[in-house]
Amino acid sequence: MNDVSPGAQHVVSRLMRESLMDKALIAGTESPVRAILPTLNVIQIGGLSIVDRGHKALLPLLDEIVANQEAHTQVVGVGPGVRARHILSVGLDLGLPTGALATLAAKSSAQNAYMVSCLLASHGFVYLEAPFIVQLLPAMLAAARGAVFNGIPPYDLWEHPPAVGKIPPHGSDSGSYLVGEAFGARSVILLKDVDGLYTADPKQHPDAEFIPDIAAADLIRMALPTLPIEPVVLDLLMRSKLVRSVHIVNGLVPGNLTRALAGEKVGTLIHA
Amino acid sequence: MPDAPGNAMLTDLGRRLVGGSLSDAAIQQATEATPHFAILPWVNVVKIGGQSIMDRGRSAVGPVVDEIVANLPRHKMILGTGAGTRARHVYSLAIDLGLPTGVLTVLGTAVAWQNAQMLQYLLARHGIAFVEPEGFASLPHYLMERGAVICQGMPPYKLWEHNPSVGRIPPERTDTGCFLIAEVFGARKMIYVKDEDGLHTADPKKDPRAAHIGRISVQDLLARDLDDLIVERAVLELMLNARHIKEIQLVNGLKPGQLTAALNGEPVGTIIFNAARGEPA
Repeated sequence: MNDVSPGAQHVVSRLMRESLMDKALIAGTESPVRAILPTLNVIQIGGLSIVDRGHKALLPLLDEIVANQEAHTQVVGVGPGVRARHILSVGLDLGLPTGALATLAAKSSAQNAYMVSCLLASHGFVYLEAPFIVQLLPAMLAAARGAVFNGIPPYDLWEHPPAVGKIPPHGSDSGSYLVGEAFGARSVILLKDVDGLYTADPKQHPDAEFIPDIAAADLIRMALPTLPIEPVVLDLLMRSKLVRSVHIVNGLVPGNLTRALAGEKVGTLIHA
Repeated sequence: MPDAPGNAMLTDLGRRLVGGSLSDAAIQQATEATPHFAILPWVNVVKIGGQSIMDRGRSAVGPVVDEIVANLPRHKMILGTGAGTRARHVYSLAIDLGLPTGVLTVLGTAVAWQNAQMLQYLLARHGIAFVEPEGFASLPHYLMERGAVICQGMPPYKLWEHNPSVGRIPPERTDTGCFLIAEVFGARKMIYVKDEDGLHTADPKKDPRAAHIGRISVQDLLARDLDDLIVERAVLELMLNARHIKEIQLVNGLKPGQLTAALNGEPVGTIIFNAARGEPA
């Protein structure tokens, strides 16, 4: 190989001296990925859909998580809910950019996650901030008996500006999915207040049809006006290496989480 | 869903946000009609390349440091660092070990961090501090007092990095991290200091017939779908959505004076501009 960039002090590697933007080089990095924690189940508890409803909705669900503790390794992501909507409203009115809004909204889900971790504390669950998910999750799962994390990913000021508007595109659905994908989780279950995906919002259109199973690409093509899941998750699924589906489940129905953990289809499965 | 509170303190948009779905296209459109407040409109984000500058050691880094110091009285700078050859080695090793993209991001971040630390040692005598992402709220103070601050260029995505559409290398690296810093603060300029005079029709290190491109729209550049680029593809895609940053500039840090010229607003190197969001400033 010619020394094409004189003066640079290289470490010998397959990617040495190469442009990481080169398409042929990028294609050469395609190879199998190992699952780091293949028995992990990522459970996402919706903020607006579950937590904001208070104890009547949340406590039965947490009881169900505890009941499944022996059989399944669970980490619980929590979404932000109505306080994030409020601070988005004030922040937008002040003219703040998407990255600032993302940093603010993430504090609302951190509050919800912290409350959930307090309610599960007596069963050995710990609350882990993002740096501790990176460094300590395996140890915490071995020592403790589960973990709770902030569903919103740590994009903060570095959140992507969306094509339209300013609402941060990566919320707790994306963050929980990405934790599952990075660790090669067994399942990602998103607990909401709807039975899954419909052709229209069933709260407004009683004649909406239920969709039990759909490919992410097909769902994007349908261009539904609203979705019960962040649209970014559909893009992420299409590029997934390990977690090839997410399960949208109604967390207000007792037994649904247990059935979903057992591998039954109880809501909508969106797959790659 | 709980009832939306009838809070008279909320704006009309606020009431829709509290009650509606954030994935609703109409609500997203409504958030567009809000002011674009620039948080640090006088700051310049300058990215110092990893493989292109830092890995060359004193012969390349020394003159760049001198030029940064010379500009401190005139231009406020957030200095982000690239990763470089050690990142290539660790990516290569981690791919061989079967590790996922999120883990590669954690590993690559450590390399950009090392480069940022080295740059900070060289600038420490001028009072220049290194700031972690968690400390960014202190940036305005350091910039006002000392004129510049150093950070590592990677976005703090860690395990939460997206997979690329092909392969395993994290698609959003230090070019992207620095771009997003510039965008969120509404910076005056986004300047990339590399080891080429900017963009060429092919990699000039490999193809001597490669022609220099002085000015090009991001739309044109994306349409050309080049096999290789001097800036991360994610930067070009994010430029299309940026509200504040309407152009980026790529300069050759091996040629003394190019960074200064770019800071002064001169069209050295290559300028990539967004043709769709108004004329560049």
